[in-house]
Amino acid sequence: MHPLIIESTKYTPFVSLNDETHHLEIKGESYPENTAEFYSPIFAWLKEYFGQPHSQETTLEMEIIYFNSSSSKVLMDIFDLLDEKTQDGQRIKVNWVYDQENESALEYGEEFQEDLEHLPFHLVVKSPT
Amino acid sequence: MSFDLYTLKKHLIQQGIFFEFSGPFSQSLLAEMGDLLKKKMKLEDASSPTILKVFSLVVEQTQNIIHYSAEKLAQNQNGSFDLSTGLIAVGHSDGEYFVLTGNLIDNEDIEHLKSKLVQLAKMDAEELKQYYKTQRRQHPDHKSKGAGLGFIEIARKSCRPLEYDFIPVDDKYSFFSLNAHIH
Repeated sequence: MHPLIIESTKYTPFVSLNDETHHLEIKGESYPENTAEFYSPIFAWLKEYFGQPHSQETTLEMEIIYFNSSSSKVLMDIFDLLDEKTQDGQRIKVNWVYDQENESALEYGEEFQEDLEHLPFHLVVKSPT
Repeated sequence: MSFDLYTLKKHLIQQGIFFEFSGPFSQSLLAEMGDLLKKKMKLEDASSPTILKVFSLVVEQTQNIIHYSAEKLAQNQNGSFDLSTGLIAVGHSDGEYFVLTGNLIDNEDIEHLKSKLVQLAKMDAEELKQYYKTQRRQHPDHKSKGAGLGFIEIARKSCRPLEYDFIPVDDKYSFFSLNAHIH
């Protein structure tokens, strides 16, 4: 496997998925015209990566300032995949990072958290820079 | 002069409209409009939650035009870039922002869309949240190119029930307009 890096644009997030450090990161805004097209390599990477067990814990850090409704659906699909893999015994955690000023980012995080059964999903306030 | 833009401008200002666009839409135009509107509202001292709500309505309503407008200028073979045409207006009146969009739709799609909007209008905030979460886990219906969540998201962001209208154009098309308010 190779790490997957996608640079951000105005309407797509920065993505860094690293199978060596087990650190996954999605950061920025997400409202592409064709959501399925943008997320399909990310989905494929995750499926391959979680296709085998890892001794180390995998952390997914999500810091999404804004996402549109079709991105919301894809993010739910990603979290559902991680939830299923956690149930299968893999060690995964999600840090949902939000800005204190951005109350809807917290609400969005809570709405994902409520819908997940097994996956540790932490709501983390972004520390001031 | 044969076309009086000044009268049009005065009319828009009377309605509280400070931004309007009519013509073919693109994803990059949407990103630019979004940036501009965020800057403009920031200068007006709108709160960040309000700015984000307006921005999110602009995105959902514009992407509805891009995906569903029946008026398209050119069609690519893969259908990915077909210059959908419509209108958007963003304004402020009585202490509320509003995002108004309009586009042509096929007459045969009116019933489907209307029933969706009637259903949403009956729901309160908690019902809309639950419906959004249920739909997020469903496969979108055959008419939907996104996740089928756009109108639910618009209804959730709007502080009042959505206003909408279908004006007959001819035997094939009608003009659909949608107005969402943000407190």
